[in-house]
Amino acid sequence: MIKIEHTLVYYLTNTVDMIKINNLNFGYSKHKPLFKNMSMQLSNGHIYGLLGKNGAGKSSLLKNIAGLVYAQSGALDVMGFNPAKRQPALLEQICFIPEEFYLPSVKIDAYVRANAPFYKKFDHQYFGNLLKEFDIPVGQKLINMSYGQKKKVIIAFGLATQANLIIMDEPTNGLDIPSKAQFRKIMASAMTEDRCIIISTHQVRDLDNLIDTVIMLDENDVALKASVQEITEKLTFKRVKEIDESIIYAEPSLSGYNAVMPNYHQEESKLDMELLFNAILAEKIKFKPLFN
Amino acid sequence: MNNTFNINRFGLLLRRQWLDFGKIYLLSLIVIFGVLIGFYAFNIPKAQDGLPPMDLNYVSLRFRYPIFGIVGFLFISIVASSYFSNLGQKSKAIIDLMTPSSTFEKFLAGVFYTAILSVASYLFIFYITDFAFCKYIDSSFSTFPYDASLTFMGKITHIHGIHAQLLNDEMDFEEYRGFSFLPFLVTSIFLLGSVYFNRFHYIKTAVSVVISVAIIMYIVYLSVSKIGENMVQITDSQNNEKIAFTIIFVSSVILCLFFWVITYVRLKEKEV
Repeated sequence: MIKIEHTLVYYLTNTVDMIKINNLNFGYSKHKPLFKNMSMQLSNGHIYGLLGKNGAGKSSLLKNIAGLVYAQSGALDVMGFNPAKRQPALLEQICFIPEEFYLPSVKIDAYVRANAPFYKKFDHQYFGNLLKEFDIPVGQKLINMSYGQKKKVIIAFGLATQANLIIMDEPTNGLDIPSKAQFRKIMASAMTEDRCIIISTHQVRDLDNLIDTVIMLDENDVALKASVQEITEKLTFKRVKEIDESIIYAEPSLSGYNAVMPNYHQEESKLDMELLFNAILAEKIKFKPLFN
Repeated sequence: MNNTFNINRFGLLLRRQWLDFGKIYLLSLIVIFGVLIGFYAFNIPKAQDGLPPMDLNYVSLRFRYPIFGIVGFLFISIVASSYFSNLGQKSKAIIDLMTPSSTFEKFLAGVFYTAILSVASYLFIFYITDFAFCKYIDSSFSTFPYDASLTFMGKITHIHGIHAQLLNDEMDFEEYRGFSFLPFLVTSIFLLGSVYFNRFHYIKTAVSVVISVAIIMYIVYLSVSKIGENMVQITDSQNNEKIAFTIIFVSSVILCLFFWVITYVRLKEKEV
């Protein structure tokens, strides 16, 4: 018991790898693996953006980290725990916002009364503030709310648990345009040094200016894991009129091409996540030496 | 922090589960109450129909036995079959599995709601329905003249008036003690079905039980026939009955524990 508490304190007070994935093999059927010998470390103090094509395994990776599915082989360590054991000490440190969820037919306060006591650090005042910010009608039953409103409630609840590992699967799905901006603002303010936030999404533009590290999944493995700073140091994203040999990848646009090229001259450019995503998928081999 | 069992966390879990499960449970209880009232109202003798059929010195209410058994079986099996049914739906399973309590606590909460609460509440509902209708019979036949003397087992018995007897007074529990663990066995089977199957839990569990029982009975029949070949049967009915009831009781306890253990293991292994 004492060992478990010490482990948690250690993970929450130092900048360490909160999640260690070593040679993870996972698949829904033995003949069709989703991850082959995947290895990766995720630390606290970061907001990771998890990107990938449909079926690349974004949700499955999140479920593996949360202990909702079991790996065929390999090791998974989350804050010193094996998530597959689903121990309460770890579960109360994880806030998992799934893409599809169900909320019971009760009012928000009844839901909070039933679920919040499981989380020792639950912050009721912060929860109230988040509901206000999201403009959620408090007296309404959860079942009568729209999908977007429910999503906001579950996000607010998850953040108010003060969990150290926040996992979000497509959190902006169902949110309207102002809510997406609110979401980005809230997530940015929720980031603390002892927290690790992983957000999976298809809508890369929703994560603009929010994430600090990009993780891209492709072909059963991690195709790219690099911080935004590292990416913009090594690559430059430009609009060009003509394609030359220095360009690694380009997409036609109205006024020429949107291009990705090596940043030989330390130019400053803004990361175009959508362009990077397409570039990595199309020219994986060319990018590999840059992000070894 | 104890990661296997903590009484406070278990209490919180019971409260949390009630939020979701409680409404369906209470509604089922109301339906069962209505069904029992309907059966009783339809079957009890009415004063205007004349002298009711009697069992020795009480009004015969034999319809109660099948009602008690069938309605009780349906109620406890349906409740047990719906308990972990959420885990078959991705949207509900994630929230349930991520609740910070141990798998053992989640399993124990399931046993509490299905085996303890549902059986106890059914017995209570049945008792008060039976009690109310027996009192009603007593009052409606109170002015009905009935005085008889009859010989029962060599003794003359005098009966004055018409009275109804509660089922739990009428039943010879000594005779049925062998079956006293059966309700728990039924709930354990259907609880396992609720975590094992992802959809159509009740039907799939019922079909599995029917097929398994048929196979077991056939194997037992074949084995007994083989063993009993060229042998003469000597019966001591009273002793045989005692042994049979003991076997039923012990095997239902063992099977119930076995199904609970499998349910716990399945719950641990449950994936979304």
